[in-house]
Amino acid sequence: MIFENMGFYFREALLSFKRSTLMSMATILSITTILIIVGVFLLISTNSSLFLKNIESQLEIIVYLEDNISQAEINNLKSNIASIDGIKEVKFVSKEEAYQRLLKDLGEQKDILSAIEKNPLPSSLEIQVKDPKVIEQIANRITEFKKVEEVEYGREIAEKLLNFTYVFRRAGMLVLALLVFASILIISNIIKITVYARRNEIEIMSLSGATSWFIKWPFIIEGFLQGFISSLFSIIILYNFYIFAVDKVHQAIPFLPLVVDNMDLLPIGIAIVLLGSLVGILGSMFSVGKYINV
Amino acid sequence: MIRMFHVYKNYPNKIQALRDINIHIKKGEFVFLVGPTGAGKSTFLKLIYRGIVPTKGQVIVDGINIARLKSGYIPYLRRNIGIVFQDFKLLYNRTVYENVSFGLKAIGATNFEIRQQVNKVLNLVGLEHKRKIKPHLLSGGEQQKLCIARAIANEPLILLTDEPTGNLDPYTSWEIMKLLFHINIRGTTIIMASHDKLMIDKAKKRVVRLERGRIIEDTQRGTY
Repeated sequence: MIFENMGFYFREALLSFKRSTLMSMATILSITTILIIVGVFLLISTNSSLFLKNIESQLEIIVYLEDNISQAEINNLKSNIASIDGIKEVKFVSKEEAYQRLLKDLGEQKDILSAIEKNPLPSSLEIQVKDPKVIEQIANRITEFKKVEEVEYGREIAEKLLNFTYVFRRAGMLVLALLVFASILIISNIIKITVYARRNEIEIMSLSGATSWFIKWPFIIEGFLQGFISSLFSIIILYNFYIFAVDKVHQAIPFLPLVVDNMDLLPIGIAIVLLGSLVGILGSMFSVGKYINV
Repeated sequence: MIRMFHVYKNYPNKIQALRDINIHIKKGEFVFLVGPTGAGKSTFLKLIYRGIVPTKGQVIVDGINIARLKSGYIPYLRRNIGIVFQDFKLLYNRTVYENVSFGLKAIGATNFEIRQQVNKVLNLVGLEHKRKIKPHLLSGGEQQKLCIARAIANEPLILLTDEPTGNLDPYTSWEIMKLLFHINIRGTTIIMASHDKLMIDKAKKRVVRLERGRIIEDTQRGTY
């Protein structure tokens, strides 16, 4: 029955678009606007999350080694550390390399070093961890290894940063939830108005003996189309706006990490399409239900 | 065709719209439902097409107890009932033809059946030459005829009309009446709520008088 009449339902939905072009356009415009607002927030939150991750990934453990360590011992230590859970990368920095880095960092002032005959810097291991939350735990374990002079990981900064990102993410999630909730209410109200405008039609169908699903389907399809088309519009507008904004930001602050990969933007697009279409479908389904069986 | 046993209907605002209604309307009868505004005429009609359910009592339509009817079966009850409203309830953004075909499509008729039936009923009511225009271009009488055409398009057993001549001049009213008689002669049971004294006296059909929710008079070949 459902599929038998699908052609009719689609025709009815499209006809209704045609019959009330102005109303449909106003509906699409309103839903598009709401979805753009949601989209802007999603873009901001995705980018801040990338930014935070970036900062977090810069947290590393530096293990200063004793001066009398042999190459074999270094290799041994390196592989021991690498075998700890949660280690992303272990990099050896020799005494010479450390000296060169210092020279570079000092730049013009490198003459100060000429007062020192011997290279005073220790060799070290630079360790990156997968999850910054366990950085302390890992640092403590490394302290126990032999030939380790000192372990450093910027404890206070790490803790503050992790606290901040935690609160920031939670707050972002809360705002997002509220925003999605508000947009669901607004979109379903817009749909409700379009259904209300056609309550006569629904009443007549209902009194003619049409089954409730027969009445609902064209509206569901129309609601879906309105939501879907709005989501496409908002994605097109958002995308162009975003590309433009990214370009401007990069001109001003070149090193700021921004999400530019289309694959990373895809989930936002999917979220917008789902939000638009689902609310369109459910909104019309429930609104029509109210006018059936008068 | 229609039986009511001790039917009461109370609305949420404590108004007793119908009180202890007992009636039997046979197949093929033509019944006028008369009484002042607020007497319960519209409520009476609504019970038959199950727009509402009785607060107490039984309403049997074509052997079906409408109070026990599950909501999924209501559409199938309504396919046997045509309804003509005083305020027309036409779709003004569709043509005359589409207004009639709309209801038929809604009950799953094939395109062939629809074309046949729509042509037949538009001929019957005399609107076949106006099939392509929109209802707002029709006169009041023509709009009422269109409502009747729509209501009888699927050949219902019962036709309910709520003051169909309420807004029309006497000549047009009589035309509508003749049309309804014609439909009645073909076997359709008709219940017509009306204030139209002239028509009712002229028609000499069964008259059921409602007052404050009760039937106070029920006479064959009655007058207003």
